[in-house]
Amino acid sequence: MSKLTIDNHQVEVDDGATILDAAEKLGIEIPTMCFLRGYKASTSCMLCVVKINGSDKLLPACGTIAQDGMTVESESDQIRQARKAALELLLSDHAGDCIGPCQVACSAHMNIPLMIRQIAAGKLRDAIVTVKKDIALPAVLGRICPKPCEQVCRRATFDKAVSICLLKRYVADVDLQSDNPYLPACKQSQNKRVAIIGAGPTGLAAAYYLQIDGYSCKIFDDHENPGGMLRYGVLQEKLPIDILDAEINLIEKLGMIFKGQTQIGAALSMKDLQKDFDAVLVAIGQPKPGDAESMGLKTTSNGIEINRKTYETNLPGVFAAGAAVRKSKLAVRAVADGKEAAAAIGQFLSGQPVTGSPYVFNNRIGKLVDGEIERFMADAGKSERLTPSPEGSGFTDDQANDEAARCMHCDCRKPISCKLRQYARQYGAKPNRYKGPRRLFVQHLQHPGLIYESGKCISCGLCIQIASQAGESLGLTFVGRGFDVRVTVPFDHSIAEGLKLAANQCVEACPTGALSFRKKT
Amino acid sequence: MVELDLTFVTQTVERIGNGPENTLAILQAIQEHFGYLPTEALERVCSLTEITPASIAGVSTFYSQFRHRPAGRHMIKICIGTACHVKGGQQIYDTFQRNLGIPDSEDTDPQELFTIEKVACLGCCMLAPAIQIDDITYGHLTLDKVPIVLRDFLEQQKAQAQQADDGAYIKSNGILGEIRICLDSSCVAVGSTKVYDALKKAVKETGAGAVVKSVGCSGMSFLAPLVEVVIADGPSFRYAQVTPDNARAIVLRHFNPKQITRKIRNTISTMLDKILTDKAWEPVTRYSIDVRDQRVADFLDKQKHIATEHCGVIDPVDLDEYVRNDGFKALKKSVNELSPEQIIAEIGLAGLRGRGGAGFPTHLKWSAVLNRKSAKKYVVCNGDEGDPGAFMDRMLMESYPYRIIEGAAIAAYSVGADQGYFYIRAEYPLAIKRMSEAINNCLKRGFLGDNIMGSGFSLQLEISAGAGAFVCGEETALMASIEGRRGMPRLRPPYPAVSGLWDQPTLINNVETFAAVPWIMRNGADAFAQLGTSNSKGTKVFALAGKIARGGLIEVPMGISIKEVIEDIGGGIDGGLRFKAVQVGGPSGGCVPAKLSHISVDYETLKDVGAMMGSGGLVVLDESDCMVDIARYFLEFTQNQSCGKCTFCRIGTRRMLDILERLCAGEGKKTDIDELEHLAQMIRNTSICGLGGTAPNPVLSTIKYFRDEYEAHLDRRCPAGRCRALITYSVTDDCIGCTLCAQHCPADAIEMKPYEKHEIDPDKCIRCGSCKSVCPAEAIKIE
Repeated sequence: MSKLTIDNHQVEVDDGATILDAAEKLGIEIPTMCFLRGYKASTSCMLCVVKINGSDKLLPACGTIAQDGMTVESESDQIRQARKAALELLLSDHAGDCIGPCQVACSAHMNIPLMIRQIAAGKLRDAIVTVKKDIALPAVLGRICPKPCEQVCRRATFDKAVSICLLKRYVADVDLQSDNPYLPACKQSQNKRVAIIGAGPTGLAAAYYLQIDGYSCKIFDDHENPGGMLRYGVLQEKLPIDILDAEINLIEKLGMIFKGQTQIGAALSMKDLQKDFDAVLVAIGQPKPGDAESMGLKTTSNGIEINRKTYETNLPGVFAAGAAVRKSKLAVRAVADGKEAAAAIGQFLSGQPVTGSPYVFNNRIGKLVDGEIERFMADAGKSERLTPSPEGSGFTDDQANDEAARCMHCDCRKPISCKLRQYARQYGAKPNRYKGPRRLFVQHLQHPGLIYESGKCISCGLCIQIASQAGESLGLTFVGRGFDVRVTVPFDHSIAEGLKLAANQCVEACPTGALSFRKKT
Repeated sequence: MVELDLTFVTQTVERIGNGPENTLAILQAIQEHFGYLPTEALERVCSLTEITPASIAGVSTFYSQFRHRPAGRHMIKICIGTACHVKGGQQIYDTFQRNLGIPDSEDTDPQELFTIEKVACLGCCMLAPAIQIDDITYGHLTLDKVPIVLRDFLEQQKAQAQQADDGAYIKSNGILGEIRICLDSSCVAVGSTKVYDALKKAVKETGAGAVVKSVGCSGMSFLAPLVEVVIADGPSFRYAQVTPDNARAIVLRHFNPKQITRKIRNTISTMLDKILTDKAWEPVTRYSIDVRDQRVADFLDKQKHIATEHCGVIDPVDLDEYVRNDGFKALKKSVNELSPEQIIAEIGLAGLRGRGGAGFPTHLKWSAVLNRKSAKKYVVCNGDEGDPGAFMDRMLMESYPYRIIEGAAIAAYSVGADQGYFYIRAEYPLAIKRMSEAINNCLKRGFLGDNIMGSGFSLQLEISAGAGAFVCGEETALMASIEGRRGMPRLRPPYPAVSGLWDQPTLINNVETFAAVPWIMRNGADAFAQLGTSNSKGTKVFALAGKIARGGLIEVPMGISIKEVIEDIGGGIDGGLRFKAVQVGGPSGGCVPAKLSHISVDYETLKDVGAMMGSGGLVVLDESDCMVDIARYFLEFTQNQSCGKCTFCRIGTRRMLDILERLCAGEGKKTDIDELEHLAQMIRNTSICGLGGTAPNPVLSTIKYFRDEYEAHLDRRCPAGRCRALITYSVTDDCIGCTLCAQHCPADAIEMKPYEKHEIDPDKCIRCGSCKSVCPAEAIKIE
C-alpha cells in the first residue's frame, strides 16, 4: 500500500496503482485521451500530466506509479498551460473539421450536412426538424438567402458547390405541403410574457424559439400584416406571399400573438412594455433617426447599442437584434439574431446568468493540400450540380436525392464524443496557434462497419492494443517514426482485413473521429 | 512482376532463429540480400516465425536503415552530421542529386546504379564533409569533387573484381620492426587501406624484415593516413598523409633488404618508377614528422589516455598483444580475488560517472542491479552513438574492443549478470565486425563463456546491431530494440535495474564507461580520482571536429577548459576566421559561446551554461556559422529521430522546426522567439525520455547567447551569410573573366563571358556555392 496526497487530499492505494487510479479513488477527475482502463498506459497524449513533489517536470498520471509519500498536484496554472499546449499541438496536426464549413458560414449555424444526409436517407421529417432547430423560416430563406454556405462549400474545390439552399427549400416546401407540417412540441408555459417590437424575420424567429421554450410572445408592428421586409421589401416572384404566410402561420400556431398597426411611441411606450411584459425585444429593422432614442435606447453607428454576446441593451430586460443592431441586412443573419436573442432572453427570464449562445469549439482544416480534395470525394456522389428548371423552381424528389448525395461529409462523424474537441473547448485551446505541415485528410472506406480517417488520429495506439488483444490476425500497427508516425494495417492491407473482430471496440475507444461508425445519416 | 525466390528467407530464419528478438537481424539479412525489404519476404517471415505482421510492419518502418522499395546497385550515404552540416553537407547532397540526375521526389538515378540517402552521422567528423559509397568512405569533399568521387568509386569496383587477395602479413626471418597504420573507418576514408595494401606489397616484394600492422587509432585524424615505423629497440618515425606511392620508399628506407639480387631489382624498379611517372621523385622525408614535431606534441601533451590507453600502438583485434599490455588482468583479479561489493566500492571511490551523457554515478547503477534478487540479469553496452558530431564510441570499439569487453565482463560479474549485449549502431559496420571478432577470440581463450579463468563466473556476450534510430541510445528504447521491437522509450520507473531486458534486472552502461573500468581496477580508484574535478573524475573522450585545425579523438582530464581543448589541442580555428562557439553534446547539448571558453569541461559546469556533456561531441563553429541555422539543424535532427509517441516531442519539435525554418527563410514573425521558448519549456517539462527532454537545448542555448542573430533573422538578415533565402551571391571587380564559375554553375545563373566580369542572375542562383569554390580570384561575394 502507498499513501500519497493529491491536491492536499490523502489517499491510500495498492502497490502498482497509478496516480490516475489514486485520483479516481478520491473523485478527482484528471483528463485523459489515450488511456483506457484494461489496456497498457501508452503515455502518449500527455493530457493527464500532473506535478509531483514540486518538481518542474510534469508526468502523465496514467502511467506514473503512485509511491508512498508522493505529493501530487492535479490542477495549477502550469498544468493547465501544458494541457492546453498539448491540445493545441494535437490540433495543429489534425486534418478534420469539427463542423462543416457550410455550417460555420451559415449565420444561423444550421446543421447543413446532417440535413443533407437526412434528405439522402429519405428522412424528410428528420430533416425539417434539423432545419428548424436553427432556421425558423426555411421556406422563405430557401428562396431569398444569399447562400453564404454555398460560397464555402468544399465541393466547389472539386467541381461546384452542393445546392444547399435549394435542398433546404425542398425540405421546407415538402413539409409545408404535407398534411401536418412540423410543429415542435412547446415546453410547459413559464408564465412569462415577452413583447417583441417588429414582425420582420428577427422578431418572427425570436417568437418561434421563445414560444417553444414556453414563453408567450406578442409582436407589435406598425404594418397591417407580419413579415416586415420579407413582405414589404422583397419581390413577389422571388418570395410568394403564400409561402411567407404559411410559415408565419406555423409560428402563430405555437401561440404567438401579432398586433399590427401599432407604433411604439405616445400611445404605447417602451416604459409601458417594460411594465406589462417580463422582457422586450426590439427587432425594428434599420432604425429611423430618433426611433431608438425615443425608446430610451443608446445607439452606435451600427444601430442600437447592445452587448454583442447577449443582445442586452442599456435598458434592463430590453434586448435588441437584427438589422436594428447591425449593418448586415441578410435575412439569414436576421433569423439567426432572432434565435440567439431568444436564447439570451430565455436565460434572462429563467433567472440564469445571461451569457448568450454557448461557445462552440471548431477545428478547421483550412486550405487543402494537393490531392486532398480527391480524398473528400471518395464517398460522395460524382454527379454534377443540379439546377432545376424552369429557373426559380425547386427540386423534385429525385433531384433532391441526387444533389444530397454530392455532399462530402466534411463535418466530423463524432462531433459530440470526440475527446479532443471536448477538452480543447474546456481548456480554451486555440486550434490555429501553430501552423505548419500536417497529416493529410484520408478516408479508408473498405470496412462495412467503420470509417477510418487517419488525418484525425492522435497516434494514441489504443486501437492497436485492442486489435492485438482481440486476436486479430493482421490487426493494426504504427508505421514510421516521429511526426510521420501513422496507424495502419500491416502490409497495406485494407482496414476491413485488419479489423475483423475488434472494429466496434476500436471505434468506441478511439478518442477522436479517426475511427467512427459507418452510419446512414 | 517477377516472383521473388524466397528460399533465402527460409534459410535466414533457420539460421537466425524464429523468436521476436531476431526481428532486426532477420530484416537486416533480407535487406542485404534483396537490397530492400520486399513485402512477400516479410509475409514469409511472419508465416515462419513468432513475429506478427503488425510487429514486423512496425519495426521495419521505424528504423531508417530499412528500405521498402528497391534501391540502386550502390548506396551513397551522405553524412549530414553536425560537422558535415557546417561544412556544407546539404550542398554535397544536392550536388550528388544533380550529378546523378535524380529527380527531387526520388532517391535513385534512372539507371538504378546509385541510391542517395542522407544519414545522421557517419562518425567521421574530421573528414567533413564525408560520404560513404557502399563500404568506402570519402572525406573532405568539395562540390567539384563529386563527379571525381563517382568515377573513382566505379574504377575501384572494377579493380577490386580483378585483384586477388595477396594474403596476410609477410612471414619473414629476422623481423626488424613494425610498420603501423590505423585502419579505422575515418582513416580508411582518407585512403589508409590503399596505403596498407601498398605497404604490404612493398614488404612482400622487397622481402623487408618488417610486419605491416593495423593498429588502433592514434586520434590524430588530421594527419591521416598516418604511418608509424617502429624499429626494434630503435627510434620510431611517423609519416603523415602518406599516399600509396610512398609505401615502397618508406619500406626501402627503413628495412633495407639483404639479398643483393633483390636490391638490384628494387633499384631497377624504383628507377623504372621514376622514369614512368612524369613527376620528379619527391623524397618521402617531406612527409616525415617526428614525435617531437610541435603540432603532434601539443595534440598529445594535454591528453591522458585511459579509455584510449596504448593508442596507436596495439592491434585492435590481436588478443595476445592486448594480454601482453596488461589486458584481462583486471578481470582476472576481479573474478578471482574480489567480491562484487568490493569492485563496486572501488568504482565508487574512483568517482566514475556514466559517459553516455547524463553522468549518473556508475557504482550506484551497479549496486541497484546487484541488489535485485533475480535468477536472470543482463548487462548491456550502449554503443548506439547516434549524436551527429560524435565518434568516440566508434573509435573506442574499432580500436579497443577487448578493453570494452573486459569492462563489461567486470560489470557483469559485479552485478551478477551472466548474459550481455553490445548494442551497436548500424552505421558502424567496422565496429560491429571488430567487436564480434574480439568476442569470438575471448570465447576461445576463456576470457568469456563458461567458468571464466576458473572463477566459476560465466558470461555470454553477443552483438545486437541497431538499424538507424538515434532514440535507441535512450536506455528503455535500446532494450525495446534488442527485444526486436520499435525503439520506443517508456516511462521510468521502473528503471532497467529493476525491470529491463525481458523484464529482468539489467545494467546498461555506455562504451566509454566500460572502457574506463579495467584501468581503474588495475591502477586503483585513487589514480583515477586524482584526475578531473571534485564532481567529475577521471578523463573524458571527446570527438573534436568542425572548424578546427586539428580534429580527432582526444582524451583529456575532466576540468580542462574549452579554450585549452580548442587552442592547445585543436590548434585553433581552421581557415583563419574567428572562433564563435563550440557545440557540446550534440542534439541534447548546447552552444557555448567564445566568451565562455574559459569554463571547465565537466558535467555540472556544462549543464549550468545550458549545454550538456552528452556523449562528447565537440563541434567548433566560426563566424561563418549561423546560430539560427545550427538550432534549425539540430531540431531537424531530433524531430526526425523522435519516436513519435508523445505529443510534445512528436508535434512540438516539428512546430519548433517550423518556426526556425521560417526564421531562416526570412519569414519569421515577431512572436516567434517567444513561441520557441514557450514550446521549448513545454517539451522539456513533459518529456519522459532523454531525447525529448533535451531536444530544446540547442534552441534555448542559442537564443540565450545569440539572441541578436535571431532578431536579425526577423529583419530578414543572416549575419553569418549562411541562410540561403537571406543571402545573395555576386561577382566583385576582382573577377578575371576565367569563366570557371559559369562552367560550374549547375543552375545556369552565370553567363559565360571570357575575359569579362561575370554576373550572377539572382533569380536563377540556387546559392549552392559552386562558383565560390572554383573561383581562383576570390571574386564571389556573399551578402
